[in-house]
Amino acid sequence: MNIAVCIKQVPDVPSIRIDKQRMTIIREGVESIINPLDCVALEAAVDLRDKEGGFVTVLSMGPPQSEEALREALAAGADQAILLTDPNFAGADTLATSHVLARAISKLEPFPDLVLCGSQTIDSDTGHVAPQIAQELDLPQVCGVNEVHVEKDFFVVKRVSDRFLDTIRISMPAVLAVSSELCVPRHIPFGHLEKAFSDCNIIRWGMNDLELNPEEVGLKGSATWVARLHTPPPKRKGEILSGSPQILAGHLVKKLEAMGIIDEEEKKP
Amino acid sequence: MKKKRNRNSAQGVWIFGDYRNYFQDRVTLQLISKGRDLAQTLETEVAVLVLGEGIHQYAMEYVAHGADVIIAVNDSRLKEYQVETYTTVVAEIVESYQPEILLGGATSFGRELFPRLAKRLNTGLSADCVALEIDPDSGLLIQTTPAFGGEMLADVVTPNHRPQMATVHPGIFKERPHDSSILGRILYPEIDIRPDERIQLVRSRPHRTGKTNLEGADIVVAGGRGMGPKEEFDMLYELAELLGGEVGATRPAIRAGWADEERLLGQTGKTVKPKLLLSLGTSGALQYTAGIQGAETIIAVNRDPNAPIFKMADLALEGDARSIIAALLEELRKRL
Repeated sequence: MNIAVCIKQVPDVPSIRIDKQRMTIIREGVESIINPLDCVALEAAVDLRDKEGGFVTVLSMGPPQSEEALREALAAGADQAILLTDPNFAGADTLATSHVLARAISKLEPFPDLVLCGSQTIDSDTGHVAPQIAQELDLPQVCGVNEVHVEKDFFVVKRVSDRFLDTIRISMPAVLAVSSELCVPRHIPFGHLEKAFSDCNIIRWGMNDLELNPEEVGLKGSATWVARLHTPPPKRKGEILSGSPQILAGHLVKKLEAMGIIDEEEKKP
Repeated sequence: MKKKRNRNSAQGVWIFGDYRNYFQDRVTLQLISKGRDLAQTLETEVAVLVLGEGIHQYAMEYVAHGADVIIAVNDSRLKEYQVETYTTVVAEIVESYQPEILLGGATSFGRELFPRLAKRLNTGLSADCVALEIDPDSGLLIQTTPAFGGEMLADVVTPNHRPQMATVHPGIFKERPHDSSILGRILYPEIDIRPDERIQLVRSRPHRTGKTNLEGADIVVAGGRGMGPKEEFDMLYELAELLGGEVGATRPAIRAGWADEERLLGQTGKTVKPKLLLSLGTSGALQYTAGIQGAETIIAVNRDPNAPIFKMADLALEGDARSIIAALLEELRKRL
């Protein structure tokens, strides 16, 4: 079974910086990681390949630096890595991102039986890209997958959706977006990382390789624009009280009483 | 499908009627209410799109909560929520009526349907919005969406594509009171339904979590690194029982083995919306706070007055969580 896995290199969220002029993320100087749920997707792909045969292609759209994420994916067991990078791809929303990824997947030979993605990223958290790839490639999709069984030419998957546990039969080829419950990503031995960073080849496809034009990618190909970035106003009162544990526990009791969670102590006569 | 262009709904504000968990999940009603404000500014109407079988009860509810128009497709082939088939049906209706705005709740289904639908309609979509306004100059819908784990907010606009689409975080807007005297119109677009055979729902049953009911709990007692070691952390189970709540934990607490993985709160764990969240010995890392932002009231206990968790707490207690909880338990036991 041939599997394509889409991954994204994301900034380690607590250390992000924003370019306020261009309103985009400054990636340089911020530690970058593979989006955690994409690691789950990659692990699932490698695991399925080991059981079913075939090969795993990992794809990522991003700046040249995203190559690191792809090398890490090779070290985690992927067979082939493709970096989709082009100055024109910058500033893409999910519509434009899914367009590039879908186009790249459609160029894979043979066409994969399964496209795996993480359900969301930690930086933008939209969860849009997997369903949008599925729509563009006209494939069926299931998001939030926490169990996958491979049958002859279909998958049986499970997921929790709005308080329901669904069991779904989905024909191949399919797009599955995975939840963190599917599997636990392996620890990558240092030797594998070293090898991936010294010996392995990364394929690079730009706009022309994908037969795309500047109007349909990046900022120009995006339907949404970020008009403004701002920090949320503090929502809470943020009153800080200090004192002995007994005093503070007393404050807690009063608050619990005021909220009606515990009964007020009966007044002593 | 036949085009039934209605002058009033032609440029309307549309809401996707997501009724699967009607009694627990009121986001559609909240959106109808917000949609009315937006529609008033744009001098148009609010329409709710309802797909499924036996949907009239929901249609009536939506009218009583403020919808001007219901666009109903009542068909047994739409009985199950299925993204592929729903995408085709909704897209055809939207292409025919061309609403200005299309909103849906950021439920699991909404978050799966809307991206596919936006792609099919070749338009923009913003995710899990926390505010919606009409820009007075451009008339565009300003979609405010959290970015970077809630650290930043982005005001997103869709200038050149229609409809302007957004999913909206549940619990942000207030529903209007039920008023059964309100009258609304109902439209039945004729549409050719072709179920997508590539995907079959084998079984769907209400999901019962194993030991915990964190997502449905009214009170959540969450412990972090400052609640250790395990013997101290175990106090939280007694506290949760006395208060009628559930125990949650941060990643460091789970790594340390003080709680099971299923109690993990945050970005890679569970999102909770309790009336009260007690955050004990947690510093307030974004990965964790992403899962607790929906709490109505947050009480935080931490030794460090500069801990980020205090910035989002309604009541912040500076001190050692373990001794404070021990003192609290002593008091609560007395009252049993």
